[in-house]
Amino acid sequence: MSSTAIPSLRPVPASRPSARPVAGDAGDAALREITDDVMRPLVTRPGAGWWACFAASTIALTIGVAMVAYEIATGIGVWGLNRTVGWAFDITNFVFWIGIGHAGTLISAILLLLRQRWRTAISRSAEAMTIFAVMCAALFPLIHMGRPWLAFWVMPYPNSRGPLWVNFRSPLLWDVFAINTYLTISLVFWYLGMIPDFATMRDRTDAPVRRFAYSVLSLGWNGSARTWSRYETATTLLAGLATPLVISVHSIVSMDFATSVLPGWHTTLFPPYFVAGAVFSGFGMVMTLLIIVRAVMHLERYITAAHLEAMGKIMLLTGSIVGFAYATELFNAWYSHNVYERYAFLNRLAGPYAWCFWIMVGCNALAPQVLWLRRARRSVPLLFVLSILVNVGMWFERFVIIVTSLHRSYLPSSWTMYRPTIVEVGTLAGSFGLFFTCFLLFIRVLPMIAMWEIKAGAGRAAERRA
Amino acid sequence: MTHDLKFWNRSPERDDSRRDFLARLGFALAASAVASCSRAPVQKAIPFLNKPEEVTPGVASWYATTCAGCAAACPLLVKTRDGRPIKIEGNAESVRFGGGTCAAGQATVLSLYDPNRLRGPLWHGEPASWSEIDARVKPQVAAASRRGIVLLSGTIVSPSTRALIAEWSARFPRFRHVVYDAVSFSALREATHACFGVAAVPHYRFDRAKTVVGIEADFLGTWLSPVEFTRQYADRRREGLSSGGVQHHQFESGVSLTGSNADRRVAIAASEQGAVALALLHRIAADARVAEPLPRVEVAIDDRAIDRAADDLWRDRGRSLVVCGSDDPSTQVVVHAINTLLGNIGVTVDLDAPSLQRQGDDAAVEELIESMNRGDVQVLMTYGVNPLYDFPDAERFARGMESVALSISFADRADETANASHAVCPDHHFLEAWGDAEPIAGSFSLAQPTVAPLFDTRAAQDSLLEWLGKPPDFYSYVREFWRRELFPRQDRSRTFDEFWDRALHDGVYDDSAPRVERRYALAEGWRAAAGAIAADHQRAVSARGPDRYELRLHETVAIRDGRHANNPWLQELPDPVTKLTWGNSIAIAPSVARSIGVATGDVVRVVAGDRSCELPAYVQPGQSPSTVSIALGYGRDGAGKVGNGIGANAFPFVSASAARRAYLRTGVALQRTGRHRELALTQTHHSIEGRSIIRSITLDELLNERSEPAPERPSLWPEREGGEHRWGMAVDLNTCTGCSACVTACQAENNVPVVGPDEVTRSREMHWIRIDRYYDGADDDPGVSFQPMMCQHCQNAPCETVCPVLATVHSSDGINQQIYNRCIGTRYCENNCPYKVRRFNWFQYAGNDRFDFTMNDPLERMVLNPDVVVRSRGVMEKCSLCVQRIQAEKLSAKQEGRTLEDGRIKTACQQACPASAIVFGDLNDPNSEVARLRRSRRHYHVLDELGTRPNVGYLMRVKNAPRGEPEPL
Repeated sequence: MSSTAIPSLRPVPASRPSARPVAGDAGDAALREITDDVMRPLVTRPGAGWWACFAASTIALTIGVAMVAYEIATGIGVWGLNRTVGWAFDITNFVFWIGIGHAGTLISAILLLLRQRWRTAISRSAEAMTIFAVMCAALFPLIHMGRPWLAFWVMPYPNSRGPLWVNFRSPLLWDVFAINTYLTISLVFWYLGMIPDFATMRDRTDAPVRRFAYSVLSLGWNGSARTWSRYETATTLLAGLATPLVISVHSIVSMDFATSVLPGWHTTLFPPYFVAGAVFSGFGMVMTLLIIVRAVMHLERYITAAHLEAMGKIMLLTGSIVGFAYATELFNAWYSHNVYERYAFLNRLAGPYAWCFWIMVGCNALAPQVLWLRRARRSVPLLFVLSILVNVGMWFERFVIIVTSLHRSYLPSSWTMYRPTIVEVGTLAGSFGLFFTCFLLFIRVLPMIAMWEIKAGAGRAAERRA
Repeated sequence: MTHDLKFWNRSPERDDSRRDFLARLGFALAASAVASCSRAPVQKAIPFLNKPEEVTPGVASWYATTCAGCAAACPLLVKTRDGRPIKIEGNAESVRFGGGTCAAGQATVLSLYDPNRLRGPLWHGEPASWSEIDARVKPQVAAASRRGIVLLSGTIVSPSTRALIAEWSARFPRFRHVVYDAVSFSALREATHACFGVAAVPHYRFDRAKTVVGIEADFLGTWLSPVEFTRQYADRRREGLSSGGVQHHQFESGVSLTGSNADRRVAIAASEQGAVALALLHRIAADARVAEPLPRVEVAIDDRAIDRAADDLWRDRGRSLVVCGSDDPSTQVVVHAINTLLGNIGVTVDLDAPSLQRQGDDAAVEELIESMNRGDVQVLMTYGVNPLYDFPDAERFARGMESVALSISFADRADETANASHAVCPDHHFLEAWGDAEPIAGSFSLAQPTVAPLFDTRAAQDSLLEWLGKPPDFYSYVREFWRRELFPRQDRSRTFDEFWDRALHDGVYDDSAPRVERRYALAEGWRAAAGAIAADHQRAVSARGPDRYELRLHETVAIRDGRHANNPWLQELPDPVTKLTWGNSIAIAPSVARSIGVATGDVVRVVAGDRSCELPAYVQPGQSPSTVSIALGYGRDGAGKVGNGIGANAFPFVSASAARRAYLRTGVALQRTGRHRELALTQTHHSIEGRSIIRSITLDELLNERSEPAPERPSLWPEREGGEHRWGMAVDLNTCTGCSACVTACQAENNVPVVGPDEVTRSREMHWIRIDRYYDGADDDPGVSFQPMMCQHCQNAPCETVCPVLATVHSSDGINQQIYNRCIGTRYCENNCPYKVRRFNWFQYAGNDRFDFTMNDPLERMVLNPDVVVRSRGVMEKCSLCVQRIQAEKLSAKQEGRTLEDGRIKTACQQACPASAIVFGDLNDPNSEVARLRRSRRHYHVLDELGTRPNVGYLMRVKNAPRGEPEPL
């Protein structure tokens, strides 16, 4: 339990049971209290902290919009790419955001199936994060095209262009399907999870417009046992459907690289490596967001140190998998005796972008190792710093994979360097702006904690106490 | 009427009816639909009312003419479409020059459409009419007949023009013709005159030489007649495969294209050219048992290098050749002495039919300046020269010009000299003009207009005729000259018309009169010359110091002496060795760079006496540590929008002593400025990293070892179904010199955009074919290798599998095709291409003021090849194997009902290659040349371990192990 609170963190009530809280336990909050607490951000005016975050996000978003508009109006040339390095910030950001999105599905689907009850407090915001992250991610393949106005050509739709059709051998096309499926399932899952809460809000709201909106969104939920029973079935089924996506989406994204002939990309390790990395980065982002949100929105009672600790464990596991993958890649390169493969990895270790590689190793493989210590896992400031490091490290991981492999490939005559331009940096900032703007609006208009699940947990806890 | 008004004067409170609403809705919908359906702006296309004879829209016509890109005067074929010349090719009818060209020759067609060309004559900088100009010039010329008229021209290879100038001399006793070459061969001419009594540059025959020794002569790149020499050099290497090998030793200070092709390249200080020649003479004289004592000089290079060269020369005596680019007549005399002792005169050094490509006379230029300053020159005409830019002491020349009563420039643009002249009488571009040429005595070619003059220009010869009081009709003059001089010397054609028509059709005419072979004895001056060299060498040695360097000035393959500075294709052509575009640099040896602490791109101030300039450094492996090199031709300010302010002018460093210009300076200091300027390099990594990308084989292995070519590796991909053809290419690395003519040819043929220095610095050049240049070995004596690299048209193409929209697919003919209008620009293909030959349109390059090079001005756009689409932004492009040429030939074969025979289709790169190193053809036809080469033991595919199965293959370079010595590793 954190006693070294970050400044704005409200002290944890002293009345909590001194024993370790049961996972999924929302303390001893009464059911009504839960509703009040969760709905407070929705009905009160936001505080200065929210406004400050919102202002920063919208400024970043505006910059991003301006940069993208300039890029589309002028040409991809405003980025720092060249004849050798055809992708850099664009696809790095794409993979980064897709990775971020992974925690949502993992939490809502796999952990649901595994009956990890501690997920209830964080699942809603993790799912929201997934949606926004996938939106940010989908932006990049779109704007990285030379002619984005023709992006619809990647869809296999009946057209009047004779035999012209999409190329089903291209991993980029698989991406289109994977991302669209992922976005659809995530949206449905998210929405489905909110239906009981919409009903609660409908019942508690007097404002006619809101009431109408919530009643439409709640699809006539009446809270009967039958409804609940069907609801549970539907959720479990959907979770079963979504589970393969956790594996498939990032596996397919990794195939953009793995199926190529480029040393540093062409490796069978990529699918599991990318999935682990995605979960890792996703949890890093969830951690960052929740630590901020629980402080800003005063939700420490619901998002407890125990939840953070559980996430820390997952980060330790996935971070170690990622670290193992780095080592495997290096071993394979050495063991292969392939001159191109060896050079690609030597270049990562000691080439001009070696600093990126070492940031990646330091942040992703080494830093999470402190989580072996229980004290570290329960230290909120440390977890916060660590989650930021993970985000930075995972961004650099994608950058290292993409840029260091491309900039020095087979023919040394074409070796070159890549330097990002202000437009690319601005676009990256813009994607963060989009993400946080969406997230901040989300916590103002939708219940960011699944009330019904928390209540169920609280009910179970009360039973257990009784 | 009231009814009508009702609509307009509707009271506000009255509600619109549903009808009104629908009517307005319909109107708005229709209006917006009509407005948004507007097509691209209609460009005026006016059909022929009466179709001119021989012009069929869409069908190219070819005209033979002669290149004026430099004084080498290569015969050309010019492709015109709808009356516009759009492509230059070499004239394969020429036995000397062949069908190849150089990069500069290829680019001359773009200069025709240079928007900076003058639109008409100028009088004191103001537009004037030709009649005005003539009215002002003629009295001056008449008056000047007492004081002096001077025509200052570059080397004139046109015999008719020379005859015309002779008429001026006959008419005006005080008329003088001074020949001025910006890069002078005066020393060689002088020495040849002194030794053999022939006042010309010898005609060299590299094809007859088994051993070639070059001393600071870049004969494959810029020296004298590079296209011809490259052809000879390649022939000789090809023959060497069966005749036991050929040797080429090069002694030079900087790394030239020629030096990088040599079997042995030895870095010498620039001032040691004479010493090396003298050392060679010692060895050869000893071998030839010439007992005369010769002065000895110490050369700071390994004696064994000289020994090896001398041994090879002596072994191949009578079939060897020493050429030297020195500006010192004594050195040239010694070189002549070596060639004489070796018995090369008359075999590889032809004095009976000498080269007429360089006739500049330094002493005469010096005299001219003096007489101008004395006020002895009334009229100065400058023709094809730009002394205010390229004369080392341009201010002195300018002062002299001020004392001239009337200065006339025939320049095609307001260049440095034209700006200082009273009258500018712009000459035609050579593609608009009649003319002839005699580059080598007895080898003639004709030049004919391929387009009506674009502007109100007049051939310089017409101006000269006009002012002479003759009808300004140079066409008739040329014809008359040929009737008078050449027709009687042949017996093939009976009437002159037949002779003329044949000559005009062929473009070339070789004098069939039997050659008079004279025997040349060496004049006695060579021992004195040896003494002079020894004395000079002493002086150079004493000028050396710890921080003193020698400076060698050289031309580049693209810009040459600066005349092509406004040509965007040439500015963007990477130098074959440095890979530098858009500017010059100062080449510094790696050891020197380390010791003075500069890296490539650091700006260095070069100080030589009272002259200095600032240039970015280029750390050049193989550069002599005692010498730095700077390319001439840059730093123009009268070239035009493209060439002005690019690089720095190095001509002021040319030293002039005893009326002789030398492209060499001693006692030069280098100062760091602390600034850095990113160079526009197309290749920044120079080591091949031990990868087997460029393979070589020794002659011994090739001839003696029997081994089967490696079997094709297994593939998971299904075999492709064969089509009617399978187009493929073989590039012979043994004959490719890296001259880069193919790069410009491809650019011209395929409308490849020029992107400018900033974009090249960002590695975004668009060339479809590039020449990769690698160094291996120690950085003071590296091996240099070249490899033309273009799309390999893989059978299992990595680019094809990854494109999500099938914008790059394989044709049934084996071509990897790029479909521009399907491409959405994901660049995935570029990333997955192991050869990195795909080029992305990062911006809209055509019709964009930001890229004001070749596709912005409507005039420039006239050079575009109408058979090749101009790509828009956001799409990928790459080598198409000139699919437009393939389709055209296939079509004509089909129309004429014949089979498509091998060799009919030539790609642009293949056609331009002076070394014939590129062969294109049908791999399905076992008898085609390319299929035959594919069966060669030398054939391999780059990165064949990837299983891409390219249709483009390479033939290994054959290394010449020096005879009698094992090849060192």
